[in-house]
Amino acid sequence: METQYRGAVLGGLICQTFFGLVLVAIYRAMYAGKPQDMPLSNITTYVWLQQAFFRMLLSTDTDLLDRIRTGAIAYDLCRPLHLYGYYYSRVLAMKMTGSILRALPMLVIAALLPAGWGMCLPASVPALLAALAALILGMFCICALENVTMGLTMRTLDPRGVQALLNLLLMTFSGNILPLTLFPDSWQRAITLLPYAQMLDAPIRLYTGEYALGQAPAVMIIQLCWTVLLVAGGCLLWRANQKKMIVQGG
Amino acid sequence: MNTLRLYCRSMAMLIKSQLQYPLSFLMQTLAQLVMEGGELLAVILLIDRFDRVNQWGPGDLYFFFGLMSVSFYLTEIFGRGLTGNFPSMVRNGQLDTLMLRPRGILTQVLCSGADPRRIACIAVGTVSLIMGSRISAIAWSPLKVLMMAESIFFSFWLILGLFMVEAILTIHSVKSIELANTLTYGGRSACEYPSDIYPRPLRILFTVVAPFALVMHVPASIILDKPLFGWPVWTGFVTPLAGLVLFFIMYMLFRKALKFYRSTGS
Amino acid sequence: MSYIFVDHLCKSFVVRKKREKGVLLREKETVHALQDVSFEIERGELVGYIGPNGAGKSTTVKILSGILVPDSGTVRVGGRTPWENRKEHVSHIGVVFGQRTQLWWDVPLLDSYSLLKDIYRVPEEKYRKRLDELTEALQLGDLLRTPLRLLSLGQRMRAELCGSLLHSPELLYLDEPTIGLDAVSKLALRDFLRWENAEKGTTILLTTHDMEDIVALCSRVMVLGHGSKLYDGGLQELLTQYDTTKTVQVEEHQNIDQVIASMYKNLGL
Repeated sequence: METQYRGAVLGGLICQTFFGLVLVAIYRAMYAGKPQDMPLSNITTYVWLQQAFFRMLLSTDTDLLDRIRTGAIAYDLCRPLHLYGYYYSRVLAMKMTGSILRALPMLVIAALLPAGWGMCLPASVPALLAALAALILGMFCICALENVTMGLTMRTLDPRGVQALLNLLLMTFSGNILPLTLFPDSWQRAITLLPYAQMLDAPIRLYTGEYALGQAPAVMIIQLCWTVLLVAGGCLLWRANQKKMIVQGG
Repeated sequence: MNTLRLYCRSMAMLIKSQLQYPLSFLMQTLAQLVMEGGELLAVILLIDRFDRVNQWGPGDLYFFFGLMSVSFYLTEIFGRGLTGNFPSMVRNGQLDTLMLRPRGILTQVLCSGADPRRIACIAVGTVSLIMGSRISAIAWSPLKVLMMAESIFFSFWLILGLFMVEAILTIHSVKSIELANTLTYGGRSACEYPSDIYPRPLRILFTVVAPFALVMHVPASIILDKPLFGWPVWTGFVTPLAGLVLFFIMYMLFRKALKFYRSTGS
Repeated sequence: MSYIFVDHLCKSFVVRKKREKGVLLREKETVHALQDVSFEIERGELVGYIGPNGAGKSTTVKILSGILVPDSGTVRVGGRTPWENRKEHVSHIGVVFGQRTQLWWDVPLLDSYSLLKDIYRVPEEKYRKRLDELTEALQLGDLLRTPLRLLSLGQRMRAELCGSLLHSPELLYLDEPTIGLDAVSKLALRDFLRWENAEKGTTILLTTHDMEDIVALCSRVMVLGHGSKLYDGGLQELLTQYDTTKTVQVEEHQNIDQVIASMYKNLGL
């Protein structure tokens, strides 16, 4: 490992641990005043799993972003290549290597923290397996969403505004800023159906046992539906972009 | 006074160059508004569920959030040169160019950047302050207004001092934005809430190392008539000075780092 | 004492090596950028400073301009020790880096210059006079209202020069000023430097890899290699000494680069 990269990993780890501790401290203080139906340990686990895996949510393909920003994407769009498939697998590969590997040390730290502060064990072994399966499905879903976002940003002149907006939706409704479980109860049905909830929220709820094992198939069907929908949407969007480029002549 | 004039002229020029791309500027400002709005939404949702933390009711929490938001983004507007430009200046050698001019390095760095888009975040913070003031029914007096102004003023220096951490690390060729972010952005996220809700180690961190508690929470709690630790009113005028102390320490470290740079080269 | 006085100047850097497997601490290596370099330059001289990449040219210049502090040795520029009072010193010198800009990208040149005026605290009267003089000599008149980003490379270099001379420095240091310029721009630039040197008496130190710059401008050349001064004297003598074809007149040398290359080789660089 490059020294600089190692430094970045360590710095990131310290930063995430700090943010995690602060969040847990806030929720602990709030719980002390008004305990909720959901046990506090579920919330702390939620926080740490988000801290570990949030990198999956960030757009990974800076190269592609640069190509869009500089307009070099126009050349790609004119190529007779199945671009969507190419970029989808690229994003997937980057997320697998970049984010998952960096999640592991965070999980170790979270597991070592004292009770009430750290991460709890999964509800059961089957729950863990279900959570893992859902995490993988969630990953496919994120990649599909990222490609839709890219497809949309390609259409705007200044992508930064649109990107910030989409990013905010992503960070809010994936449970990164505030655990989705703490959103108002009346919102729960709606927000858990959104694509954003399929990425990390659904796997985490399976892990903590908030979604019973019997619900797992239903959860995964929703995940799958969104993945298919987003892939289809992304494909259409990219094809339309490609066509537009070719018509315009690059 | 000459330095202030130079600063004002530099700012005018920066704004002039940013407005060369008005649409992009507008879009990004809007994006900032949405982003900070999202942060406020999270607080609103939490209050919706939990009503209060310790002795702090909804209005108090909005007030704390607003105070942090206004102070932090005020610093970002004017401290952009430190956070945005400086690390790349060190890496691409632009720092040498600054050293070739007969002016202080920090002055020139601060002159080199501004981020007026953050005005949108300040707007959100102001809304939160007003919400807090209304709900908590703060009885404003000239003294309280003065105390709040002082708190924001010294918060500016505190946060500017924290921004210098990254600059200092960069000169020592430590490349870790995230490490520097722990104190700045981590401190911001944490101290949107009053520091007495945190366990002792974090409380000490926010009182001694990054004294948000002294600069913001002590005066804010006095304005809310719920003084932290039961401290008397005059403390609200004294403790914010900690922000200036921190800035001064960081400034000294920054000068030391520049000295190191001048003896080692890039 | 001469205007620039450099005596037994030494500077070394500690470079951290890449960490090897199994070694806990990275090894450090000391690179001697300057080893016992001495020279003197009189006021109003125009001196070429050459040497292969990494010879220590820019280290010398950074020390002369007060950015770097040397390990040992004495340096006086106009009676000042450069690194002791940086702000005072740099207000008397001007520096142009060929590949780096000190002007502002998105605003008209005139705005950049006006800000530089404030930075260097040049009095309004003096600034106007100097700006008129420089815009005429550098033919910048039509460009003053254009932002830097819209200028061609040659125009940009002229604009840079104007910016670094507004405060009428005693010493101008140029680092590869002609890099990437077309023939017309190069010739114009050389004319200007000759003018600035002759009319204003500005001492100029020029590093370049373009030997034609040296031939056109400098009567005196210093050659640096591996941190030591290897040659200091007339260009003519240097060429005679190292020319394998033994042609005598500078103008007749078919390829000056070849001569320089053979010199570097001879000196073991």
